[in-house]
Amino acid sequence: MKEDLLKIKSYLLSGVSFAIPFIACGGILIATAIALAPKAATGNGFSDFSQSPTLKLILDIGVTAFTLMLPVLAGYISHAMAGKPGLVAGFIGGYLAGHLGYLPNGKEISAGFLGALLAGLLAGWTVNQCKKIPVPKYLKPIMPILIIPILSAGFVGVIMLKVIGIPIAEFMGFLGKWLETMGHGNALILAAILGGMIAFDMGGPVNKTAFFFGSAMISQGNFFVMGAVAAAICTPPLGLGLATLLNGKLWNEEDREAGKAAFAMGMICITEGAIPFAASDPVRVIPCIMGGSMLASCIAMFGGVGNHAPHGGPIVLPVIDHRLMYVVAIAAGTIATALAINFLKSRQQKTSVA
Amino acid sequence: MKIVAVTACPTGIAHTYMAAEKLEKTAKSLGHQIKVETQGAMGIENELSASEIKEADGVIFAVDIEVEQRERFAGKKVVQVPVQLAIKDPKSVLAKLG
Repeated sequence: MKEDLLKIKSYLLSGVSFAIPFIACGGILIATAIALAPKAATGNGFSDFSQSPTLKLILDIGVTAFTLMLPVLAGYISHAMAGKPGLVAGFIGGYLAGHLGYLPNGKEISAGFLGALLAGLLAGWTVNQCKKIPVPKYLKPIMPILIIPILSAGFVGVIMLKVIGIPIAEFMGFLGKWLETMGHGNALILAAILGGMIAFDMGGPVNKTAFFFGSAMISQGNFFVMGAVAAAICTPPLGLGLATLLNGKLWNEEDREAGKAAFAMGMICITEGAIPFAASDPVRVIPCIMGGSMLASCIAMFGGVGNHAPHGGPIVLPVIDHRLMYVVAIAAGTIATALAINFLKSRQQKTSVA
Repeated sequence: MKIVAVTACPTGIAHTYMAAEKLEKTAKSLGHQIKVETQGAMGIENELSASEIKEADGVIFAVDIEVEQRERFAGKKVVQVPVQLAIKDPKSVLAKLG
């Protein structure tokens, strides 16, 4: 059982590894376009692109990268499980997870990240079952190029469209509604949980779950969740970078080099910059960065920070509502992370000398 | 002993290369010959050739994701460990080759 779970984790991470460049590319392009466009006079704070075709172009390219991300994610989860024949069912399942149809008001129904993960696993499993069908020798060559793609894509497509897709999409919508009705206290708890998730695996599946939740809430019209997430994403690398600058003696030369890289990655909001530190000293580093991110996300939520772009860190500042609180949140999280880790490091060195 | 290894982590920008470096250093200090292929965000780098794989006495996969082109290693005895272990304790990983 445990081995099966580890296998599934490895499949999911394989898919995520292919999807990451799409997330970074789409996130930054969308953030840039939204940041530079004027706010619409009407509506709930969406940007107005009617006057700026260039920005609309950048936005469209970014949205394309984000749209492709779901099929790529599901496709390569399935690919990891079932090899080449798995790609087609995975891509189709992932695409359908993002395009389940339209609501009466013209809004698209999407099962998002969660839907794509399930679609990928389902596709890989289906293809592996198809491979077991006993066929006469003369049919063997057409199995991988004809029979398996049609059978598996058909099955996955029907399941996504008719069985699990809509419930997942409704669940996401329900979460959005629930958040809107939530009071300040509950919102802070949510912000703390999301902040902790963001820092916990630094860009891994837990982090991405929180991130996708935040970006899904943007399309539901709730910008506060992404505001909290955006502040939390950048504090682990920024905080660790700051820590190496504050007290270089506590860190070895490799760490100091990694610290500069981490600082740069923090500015453009790549939590992965914290990984080299966490790898060499997970017991101290992970709690510190989780604490810092939780603090940042709570301050952002408390200060009513809203974020209109599915990306985080200092570079999305132009699309932030309540910018001052956003900066305060990031600064507080960064400083808290740096002080906490340097404190733990200095205690460790004292005990090892004594 | 001749060793070939593959390292790969989900993000493919940090762990993959740290593990490769650790394995190389440790194997050399123990007097082994080693070549490590990295499957990171840049794709396959320092690719292992068919003859290198054929001649190897041992194969190590230090990976958290599925190895690409795994079929190249068909018939070889493979020691598979999480990337973390190769970074933290490369000696124990090499010891598993026996």
